[in-house]
Amino acid sequence: MKLAVYSLKKVLFEGEAKLLNCKTAVGEITLLDNHETFIGVLKSGVVKIVDTADREHFFEINSGFLEVQPKNQVRCLVN
Amino acid sequence: MESVQNLKKRIKSIGNIKKITKAMELVAATKMRRSQEIALASRPYALTALNLLANVSQLETKLPDLFNQRKIKKVLFVLVASDKGLAGAFNSSLFKKFEKYIAENKKQYETEGKLFLAVGEKSFQYLNRKKFSVLQRFAQVGDFTATEQVAPLADFIVKGYLAKDFDRVVIFSTHFKSALKQEAMVRRVLPINFEHIKETIQEIVPKTGKFSELAGGLQVTGYRLQEYLIEPSPAVVLEDLARHLLFMQVYHVILEANASEHAARRLAMKTASDNASDLSEKLNLQYNKSRQAGITNQIIEISAGAEALS
Repeated sequence: MKLAVYSLKKVLFEGEAKLLNCKTAVGEITLLDNHETFIGVLKSGVVKIVDTADREHFFEINSGFLEVQPKNQVRCLVN
Repeated sequence: MESVQNLKKRIKSIGNIKKITKAMELVAATKMRRSQEIALASRPYALTALNLLANVSQLETKLPDLFNQRKIKKVLFVLVASDKGLAGAFNSSLFKKFEKYIAENKKQYETEGKLFLAVGEKSFQYLNRKKFSVLQRFAQVGDFTATEQVAPLADFIVKGYLAKDFDRVVIFSTHFKSALKQEAMVRRVLPINFEHIKETIQEIVPKTGKFSELAGGLQVTGYRLQEYLIEPSPAVVLEDLARHLLFMQVYHVILEANASEHAARRLAMKTASDNASDLSEKLNLQYNKSRQAGITNQIIEISAGAEALS
């Protein structure tokens, strides 16, 4: 999936990813390819991303939003 | 004519001043560049947030309190100025704009209560001098604004607004048009208006000069999709988003003021060092003339002495 993670300071991640794991207001979720459209509120915790080269990325966040758009696009706003 | 020694002293001290102002100019220039970069780095975030807002607000018709216009009894004025001086007309033009605005809307504000919030040491001093009661002051932010430093300010505004301490928030800050031109401006931030936020984000890109090529490209595309799964609920997401958007707007306003401050300081220092160059040139001329006059005098004395001997 095409994933973009933005913070106010900089772009944390932009590119193809296999997996996104994060904590939302209703619980921890993991997004894989072709997830259904979704909008959620993120809670403080660690966001884990596995990109297509199987590298793992971790970001610590305080709050944020997650939006899964149609056509396999995911965008995250984190603080 | 001034004595040669005196002139020499003055030339030296002006040379020193020039060195200082030149250094400050260079420092301010790099700081301005940095501030601009920080401001621009938050653009993708801002655009995405706006998009998200557009999407969610399609699904939920009832907007949270932060969006709703209510009867205005009290207005909060936020003055964004700098902590330090030596920035030319940066602060005074902002205060002038503020006074003009108050004078223009005098009738309207006679019935409404006025509250003040100072951002930056200079604006606090100004409001105190004018005997306005300052609700709170946020100062000592430093050269670059961090999100952590803006958070208390945004929180304070949101809390006060929700507690009905004030019903409208107006920010006076400086708009960064280009490195050479800044303009004091008035912005209403609460109640939140979608268009106003969009404007703020668009304006972060200067009209001319470096980074101006980034202008445009701001598009808010709303997917007309009803099948979004929203957790926990659209209302909660909107509420949260509204807070984030307000925070983002305040952050942008302050970043812009920050870049403007550095730009204004750079310009002021440039003028100062130009003046110092002019002055030292003039003094040099004077010094040479007076030295020449001294030599001529001495020659006259010698030749007069020689004539008297012969």
